[in-house]
Amino acid sequence: MVTGEERDTRQRFRDHYGEDRTEVVLQIERTVIGGDWGANGYTTIAQANLLGTALGLEPGVRLLDLGAGRGWPGLYLSVRSGCDVVLSDVPFEGLHLALARAADEAANGQVAAVASSARALPFRAGTFDAVVHTDVLC
Amino acid sequence: MLRASRLLLRPGGRTAFFTIHPTPGLTPRRRRRAHRDGPVAVASHLSGRELLARAGFVDVKETDCTAEFATVAQAWVDHCEDQRDALAEVRGADEFDRRQTERRIQLQAVRDGLLRRSLLVATRGNDQ
Repeated sequence: MVTGEERDTRQRFRDHYGEDRTEVVLQIERTVIGGDWGANGYTTIAQANLLGTALGLEPGVRLLDLGAGRGWPGLYLSVRSGCDVVLSDVPFEGLHLALARAADEAANGQVAAVASSARALPFRAGTFDAVVHTDVLC
Repeated sequence: MLRASRLLLRPGGRTAFFTIHPTPGLTPRRRRRAHRDGPVAVASHLSGRELLARAGFVDVKETDCTAEFATVAQAWVDHCEDQRDALAEVRGADEFDRRQTERRIQLQAVRDGLLRRSLLVATRGNDQ
C-alpha cells in the first residue's frame, strides 16, 4: 500500500525530473559532483567509481540500479565499464531522460529501463550479478 | 529494498550502495531529530550492516563517508545560492527555497553529529 507521504515524495521526484536541464543546472552539477549525468544527491564521480570497482563491473556483467532517477549512477557505470544495466525507478520521467542519454552515449544496446518499485521488479531470481543504489535505503 | 536485491542477485553476486543513516549510539531524543532532519529514506532503526545481515548478505564491509557528505552538501548549497535567480526561474522561488532549506537542515544535522553517510558493500549469501 502506498502512503500519502510516499505519494507526495513520488510527485516531488516527478516534478524534479521534469525540470529543464539548463546550462546553469548542468554547470552546478559538474562543479559539485564532477559530471552531468543527472545527479542531485551526494554521490560524486569518484564515489561512483568506487561502486564500480567494488562490484567488479566489466563487459558481460549484469547490473541493476535501484532508484536510478535520471540514470545516476547506473548509466554512468555502464558507459564507463561496458557492463549491461537495468535502470529502475518509479517515476517514468527520469528514466525517459536516462534512455535518451544512453542513446547519446551510443550505449542503448547495453541499457534498459523499468518503471517499477524495487518490490515489484519483473525479473526472475538470480538475474543480476550486481545491484547498486545511492541514498535510497537508509 | 535489500530483500529484493538479494532475490534478484545470483549466488555470489554483490551489492554496493551509499546510505545516509543516524549516527550509532544517539539518545532517543537525538535519534528522533536525525530521523526528522535526514532525507525521507532515513527511516529504519537498524544499521545498514544489520539490515544486510537480516536480508541474507555476508562479507559486509562499511566505509564512513560522512566528511565527503558534508563537503558535497555544502557545495550544493553554496553553488545553488550563487545561481539563485537562474534556478528560481527554472523551478520556482518556493521550490528553490524548499530545497535549500532541506539541504541546510541536513548539513546542520551532520555537523551536530546526528547523521552519517556510509558506503556498504556485501555479497549475496547462499540460499537459506
